[in-house]
Amino acid sequence: MFISNSFALRPMNRIAGLVRLGCAQRWQSTVAVEPPPAGGHLTAVASSQLLRATRETALRTPGLTWFEEHDSGPIIGGRETRKMNLYQAVRDALSTALAKDDTAVVFGEDVAFGGVFRCTMGLAEEFGRERVFNTPLTEQGIAGFGVGIASMGHTAIAEIQFADYIFPAFDQIVNEAAKYRYRAGGQFSIGGLTIRTPTMAVGHGGLYHSQSPEGFFIGASGIKIVIPRSPLQCKGLLLASIRDPNPVLFMEPKILYRSAVEQVPVDDYTLPLSRAEILVPGTDLTLLSWGTPIYHCETALSILHSPPASLEPYVPPSLRTAKIELIDLRTILPWDVETVVESVRKTRKLVIVHEAGYTGGVGGEIAAEVQKKAFLRLEAPVKRLTGWDVPAALQYERFNMPDAIRILDGIIETLAY
Amino acid sequence: MLRALSLPIVLARAKVPLHARTLTASAPKFPVKHQGVLPTSQSPVVATLQFFNSVTGGAGQIPTYRVLDGIGIPIEDAEVPEISEEFARKLYESMQLLPTMDNILYNVQRQGKFSFYVGQYREMGVLLWRGFGIDAAMAQCFGNQDDRSGKGRQMPMHFGSVENHFHTISSPLATQIPQAAGVGFALKRDPERRDKNVACVFFGEGAASEGDFHAGMLMASTIPSPTIFIARNNGFAISTPAHEQYHGDGIAARGPGYGIETVRVDGNDILAVFNAVKEARRRCLESGRAVLVEAMTYRIGHHSTSDDSFAYRGRQEVENWKKIDNPITRFRLFLESKGWWDEKEEEVLKAKLKKDVMTALKRAEALKRSDLRDLFTDVYGGEEPWNLKEQREELARLIKKYGEVWEPWRSELKRFRDEGKKLAD
Repeated sequence: MFISNSFALRPMNRIAGLVRLGCAQRWQSTVAVEPPPAGGHLTAVASSQLLRATRETALRTPGLTWFEEHDSGPIIGGRETRKMNLYQAVRDALSTALAKDDTAVVFGEDVAFGGVFRCTMGLAEEFGRERVFNTPLTEQGIAGFGVGIASMGHTAIAEIQFADYIFPAFDQIVNEAAKYRYRAGGQFSIGGLTIRTPTMAVGHGGLYHSQSPEGFFIGASGIKIVIPRSPLQCKGLLLASIRDPNPVLFMEPKILYRSAVEQVPVDDYTLPLSRAEILVPGTDLTLLSWGTPIYHCETALSILHSPPASLEPYVPPSLRTAKIELIDLRTILPWDVETVVESVRKTRKLVIVHEAGYTGGVGGEIAAEVQKKAFLRLEAPVKRLTGWDVPAALQYERFNMPDAIRILDGIIETLAY
Repeated sequence: MLRALSLPIVLARAKVPLHARTLTASAPKFPVKHQGVLPTSQSPVVATLQFFNSVTGGAGQIPTYRVLDGIGIPIEDAEVPEISEEFARKLYESMQLLPTMDNILYNVQRQGKFSFYVGQYREMGVLLWRGFGIDAAMAQCFGNQDDRSGKGRQMPMHFGSVENHFHTISSPLATQIPQAAGVGFALKRDPERRDKNVACVFFGEGAASEGDFHAGMLMASTIPSPTIFIARNNGFAISTPAHEQYHGDGIAARGPGYGIETVRVDGNDILAVFNAVKEARRRCLESGRAVLVEAMTYRIGHHSTSDDSFAYRGRQEVENWKKIDNPITRFRLFLESKGWWDEKEEEVLKAKLKKDVMTALKRAEALKRSDLRDLFTDVYGGEEPWNLKEQREELARLIKKYGEVWEPWRSELKRFRDEGKKLAD
């Protein structure tokens, strides 16, 4: 009886609904701590300065490359953008991929009716059930099936309902997908495989709807791991992942599905993989993150620059004008060592923020490499602000995930070292 | 037919069409009796409590299809396939090549010339039948510069060939089963190959215990994919006998549970296997759905060169099966009865095969390995990642520094085509 009860959590219409409510609650409740100061520190994803609110800023996104048909002439007139949240951006990217590539198929648990997070809404109706279809509830089957489709040169876009449930497919991803090209001497490859999966905390996901498993996969040379931070990023990076000649694990921060909204170009475009993006330039400290915590970083920077009255005693005035360089890593494997190291050589200090646990997390890998490449430039130990080395305990989430106050504290400690 | 036997009592009570297995939310079409209906199944409702544990009913086992008896004579009522003499001889010659290669390579491995060898009971025969060639097989086993299967990266017997449509073998068991379902699905979607080609996947009865077997059968049946699943039931998975592998009626009994057409065939009878697989392929193409074939056989050799099977089974038992039920002997006797083969041809063939294999062996042995640089290539398609570039250059630096003075490297480097000199390129 207990088994069937816990299992009922799986087909997550309920969770999808909770995400909608939860996102708002989570972010707004941060606001509720106290009203923003006159300068306005950012407390909600919805009002993030990192999101592109206008068509002009959207079209000026660094690295944005229009994907054109070979035979099409020059585009007349301007590009259009449309306001989208993250799940709509995923849907837009999938629709584009399906429209441009007859071999592309989208499949997974519950994708046909639109997906538990609405990422595949209307795609089955638009492209047919042969191209957008449900699979039985078997993650190893989904991954293996995708490997098979891709091995025939077709485009397979698989969905694992939650990143927490990717582990049954670990063998197919690590032993098969990652090694397919290498072991075949380049004869066979599965570049057309992309596995999408919702990741990271959602406010109330507990142990199995909150995980950030990217660290488990960084040893799987042969695959790429990509995590977007916003709708515009999501569409461009997802289309790049689908077209990359390698299997890609594409992890979508699920708390952003509805809460992150920005202008997204309507046309087909990509953003480069393995390139980090400098979101806020600075000279005094490098703050590196990916996915959801990017917005906590933004909030922390805002508090640092103009702390609310309650936090003023904790933010030394001399540090309030510190120029912090905020970087979104975007691709976890292979990661952009050049941008990160160049930044640290300039700022001499590095703070890494991720939701996954400390031990064995991606932060350890980056810290070690930066220490190796910028040893003489470092003026403080590399600080890692991460989830604790515990499972994602339901009622404890606010104290487990690295939030703005922990990031603020980490920045101050590192600046003052 | 097998399905019809599975619920005899139930069927007698409520006349349900046999093909009606699909889940449905709509109202059932058959007359509703007072017992009522189920929301997710068209299973007839009965008042008699009955448990069952056999797909054939009455605890009977699924029959094994056979054409030739132990001395190569067609059994009563068996339909002998119409095959030409030329085709039959090619079959026999391909079959004979296997033990020849097996014996020679087995001994070569024992002399330490390469690391590992598994016997003929795996699928090298499929490749040789398709014209992969002895040289290519040898190149893979030695991992030399001609190894197109994997540039010397994989253990011996891990073949692959794009031209022969043979996906590269990998060691993790059963992973290829759901992959084959995906391949079948892709074939069905390909306008050039639809209705012409099927995917086919081979695996042992031990591998069928992996979750991927379940996943693969399920995927291929639910998302209809023209895929033939061929289970090689040879009685052992390394040391584990089949009766410790499953408690049911072999692998075949599982097929109907997935709604997959299934047949069990005598794996030591090439004509029975031929008939069964040909029909399986026809059904697969016609229905666009999966078919399961379980071939019953016996693993004559050790599991691999790392295994001494006499530690868990009797020497005499093996000798008996070799003599009594040998697929090659059985087919040879059939050929002789047709007047297509004789003792003299047998000797000529054996001498020729031995010579061919020895020639290929010597050639493969003399060749260098691929470039040492290939340690680092093909991990990714497209741009080489910085970490691989750095590591490649680091190894180049170390080889430059120690390659001549550190003996374990000095002698080893000479075995590579580039002797490590292309590493830094």
